[in-house]
Amino acid sequence: MLARIPGRLLQIIPTLILIGVVVFVLLRLLPGDPASALLGNRATPESLARINAQMGFDKPIWVQFLLFLGRLAHGDLGVSVTERIPVTRVILQRLPVTLCLVGFAAVIALVLALPLAFVAALRQNRLPDLALRGLFQIGLSSPVFYIGLLLLGFLGARLHWFPVGGLGQGFWGAVYHLILPAFTLALSLAAVLMRNLRSAIIGVLRADYVDFARAKGITPWRVLTGHVLRNSLITTVALFGLNIGVLLGNSVITENVFAVPGIGGLLVDAIFGRDYPVVQGVTLVLAVLVSLVFLATDLMESWLDPRLHA
Amino acid sequence: MKSMLLRTALTLGALLTTSAAYAAPVTGGTLNFARNADSQLLDPVLNNANVDIWILTNLYSTLLLPSADGKSVIPGLATSWTPSADGKTLTLKLRPGVKFADGSPVTTDDIIWSLTRAVDPKNGIWNFLLASVASVKAEGDDTIVLSLKNPDPSLPAALATFNSAIMPHKLFEAAKGGTDAEKAQNFAEHPIGSGPFVLASWQRGSHMVLKRNPYYWKKDEAGQQLPYLDEVNLTVVPDDATRILQLKAGQIDATEFVPYERAHELQGDTNLTMDLFPSTQITYLQLNADPKLNDGTPNPLSNEKVRQALNYAISKKAVIQVVTHGLGTPMHSFMPSTTPLYADLGPAYSFDMKKAKALLTEAGFPNGFSLTAFAQAGKANDSSTLATLQQMWGQLGVKLSIQQMDLPTMDARQHKSDYQIRTAYWTNDIADPNEITSYFAYFPNIRNQFSGWQDARTDKLFLQSQVELDPAKRVAEYKELQQIYVAGAPMFFLYESPFAAATRKNVIGFRQSPLGNDMFEAAYIEK
Repeated sequence: MLARIPGRLLQIIPTLILIGVVVFVLLRLLPGDPASALLGNRATPESLARINAQMGFDKPIWVQFLLFLGRLAHGDLGVSVTERIPVTRVILQRLPVTLCLVGFAAVIALVLALPLAFVAALRQNRLPDLALRGLFQIGLSSPVFYIGLLLLGFLGARLHWFPVGGLGQGFWGAVYHLILPAFTLALSLAAVLMRNLRSAIIGVLRADYVDFARAKGITPWRVLTGHVLRNSLITTVALFGLNIGVLLGNSVITENVFAVPGIGGLLVDAIFGRDYPVVQGVTLVLAVLVSLVFLATDLMESWLDPRLHA
Repeated sequence: MKSMLLRTALTLGALLTTSAAYAAPVTGGTLNFARNADSQLLDPVLNNANVDIWILTNLYSTLLLPSADGKSVIPGLATSWTPSADGKTLTLKLRPGVKFADGSPVTTDDIIWSLTRAVDPKNGIWNFLLASVASVKAEGDDTIVLSLKNPDPSLPAALATFNSAIMPHKLFEAAKGGTDAEKAQNFAEHPIGSGPFVLASWQRGSHMVLKRNPYYWKKDEAGQQLPYLDEVNLTVVPDDATRILQLKAGQIDATEFVPYERAHELQGDTNLTMDLFPSTQITYLQLNADPKLNDGTPNPLSNEKVRQALNYAISKKAVIQVVTHGLGTPMHSFMPSTTPLYADLGPAYSFDMKKAKALLTEAGFPNGFSLTAFAQAGKANDSSTLATLQQMWGQLGVKLSIQQMDLPTMDARQHKSDYQIRTAYWTNDIADPNEITSYFAYFPNIRNQFSGWQDARTDKLFLQSQVELDPAKRVAEYKELQQIYVAGAPMFFLYESPFAAATRKNVIGFRQSPLGNDMFEAAYIEK
């Protein structure tokens, strides 16, 4: 199983090149350009031309692309149009924050979804099940920014249990500040996982091998953890992996509402500033992350379900 | 009326707090201030954006400073400035003993180098403000002489503008990098100036800490050393609602860009002070007056009578009520009323549907026509302004369709004159009318906001006013120029509105200048 990792890692490279080309071309097809965005209504034709020339945006698109690839080969993502520092530096300052936020949210989602899915499945169609599903339905269907503002207003500004956004000082400060945004971000994923795992568990509970295990006299707890959990997790793991990408997408809004200085906010600012190098850089970094998560998901799935080795 | 009362109350409140300030300014402490966006490049000459401009005056001093009302200049690093009789030289006496934040003295070499860099046409987008300067020289240790290509009445104001900030030559040269741009970028990460504060740390996208400059040259009127605060912590909080929640929770002490619809609510909060600072902020609709649009269709807005008619058919009062909740005031000129040499010629088109109808008929459009306006996507104020206009213009048979797009798209299309009407905002950067006039009324620069509207007399008046030595004549030139502009109507005039900032009740003395600069110099936190 582990022997396949290098091959899978190599497969990521063509994916990244494809994403790089698509983003590069799409950005330049978007109306608007970096110089116009930078200067707004103080722009003169001369200043527009000068800035485009400084940044190399006056060159033909294929020349720009070759230059981009050449720099990329050396690990250089170019220089931000608005901040005028290397894109790698801009991203490295912001990436850890988003990774923590998304990681934290993923953990919260799992911690919420796993036990509750069992509760719901074992009390199928009874009050706990209906209540939990109802609650999560609300979590799933409410906009992130709305839940975020509600939590900020009530738990933050009103009760002072949590800070009202920001990142705080030091590691524990950051953890404390990230609880509410991570929880907000986790809600919809927790809802998806819970529903999926619940039906998987219900399915597995009806399987013959579970009856057989029970018949053998294995304790109900051992049946649940040893047989039911492992078999019902297979689809949930796949879903979890797929949804990490969604989580990264949703982090854009969460970061904005909670004033978390992560990569999502950076991407939005860069798109509105037509900061081509930053958008390209962030997209590539996100693509690498998502690819790695997919790889990890695949490995996890084949560990859970040896049949997938074939 | 309500807003008048409100403003009077606020002014009174401001006066009371100011007099209290002289009683007992508290020294020390940290002010936590939330901004809606982070700075980009803290270089006085090479920056492009308000997020930089509005912070720079805390880090750097200029030879002269804008007065509190933004209409004149007062001494800064220079204590006096004297133009020669022919107006071709300006002699400035320097304040003795001024130091940069690292303790090194501000020398004539620093001044000569800084101004020469700011004048260089290859550097940035602000050098036009100093275009008249031919050379900068020192006479002795305490005098700077600027030789000019032509007399320049706006030069004192230009020397009070952020791009003329005095930077430490040697420290700049010592910064890493081969070119001026590279050095600037590195120096701007840890800038050293002679302003009230110095940048202590900067985590991009998150926060920036300004520390008291212990060598700052300015004292308050009672002789107490400025600034009062030890630190200003500028955090970046993009969401309006979150900033307000933070302020209410006491997590921050002050914030800017309070949405107008929240102003009344915050006024009612006994823990907070709602500030409405007089600004140079105007909101208007830019129009394209070219005879044909980019797709070749004829453009009714090329007809002056049509532009006038549609201006008459805007109830600014209604727009002000809907969008600013009564906090705005109608525009009377293309320049904000806080601009020096602004001439109050009465309302630029007061609401008059009859006149509008008559003018439109005269222009040959008794049954109206169709127009397309660009609105910034996601900006509620843009949409509600245009929706209000849709109703008013609809009564003339003019069908206004609204097209939403993001700001860079709108900007790029305007820069190609590929638009008919767009929503737009402006704030002055200099305490002189020449900047806005060069962009809005003097055709050769950018075809008057890429509108294509041109008036030869205006162009002549502007050039004249740029070298006018007689202040009274300059006033007259600007008056005529504003009259012509309003009559020509190359924009749809809407409203001026204040900068809305809010602080905790115990924050005294924070101010935003009419140009938008956040001024922390005289701010303090009451115990």
